[in-house]
Amino acid sequence: MKLKYIGMLIVGILLAFLYFYINPSNVNYFPKCPLYVTTGIYCPGCGSQRATYELLHFHFIGVLKQNILYIIGILILAYHLVISFLNTVFHKNIYNYIYHPKTPWIILIIILVFWILRNLPFYPFNLLAPH
Amino acid sequence: MDQKPPKNYLVESILVTILCCLPFGIAGIVFASQVNSKFAVGDYEGAIASSKSAKKWMTWGLVSGVIVIVLYLVFIFALGGLALFGLSNN
Repeated sequence: MKLKYIGMLIVGILLAFLYFYINPSNVNYFPKCPLYVTTGIYCPGCGSQRATYELLHFHFIGVLKQNILYIIGILILAYHLVISFLNTVFHKNIYNYIYHPKTPWIILIIILVFWILRNLPFYPFNLLAPH
Repeated sequence: MDQKPPKNYLVESILVTILCCLPFGIAGIVFASQVNSKFAVGDYEGAIASSKSAKKWMTWGLVSGVIVIVLYLVFIFALGGLALFGLSNN
């Protein structure tokens, strides 16, 4: 179990170095979204690699320009990690909203609405597409 | 309701959705919602079954993401290799 977390940490650090030093916009050997390449439709994850690059350089406006959902995902991850950490290490009993029955549906709706809106080719929705 | 809810893999599924593999991530989120709703009505066995499904979809999302990236890199480097080979022949 511990080995798994160490492996994840090493992979994470390697990826962080990769996305810190290489801007995905400038090179063509980073994988592109298969949906976008084949259909021209943005998926909810399009722009995530560029967003990672922007985030590692603390350009938060850049992250928002690439993919607003990315910031939401990072915030949810941070929330979950903090609550889990407090509950296990300090034996607290804070309610984690990740386990609320409505949470997954709300997130699913946000993802689907975001997916539709970012493909509308006019202002202000075109701001949601990676740019 | 003293039991803890089984792991629902919601956060992992969201990350899979945003970072690589939309269909698997969405399936994971749907099963995560089943884990939560079944646990809320006291169906602990059902919640565990949904938890296993959520984990399965989330894992397949990760695996397929890694496979696509590896195939992509192989393809790119094969093309690059061919280009180099062509240049050296000229």
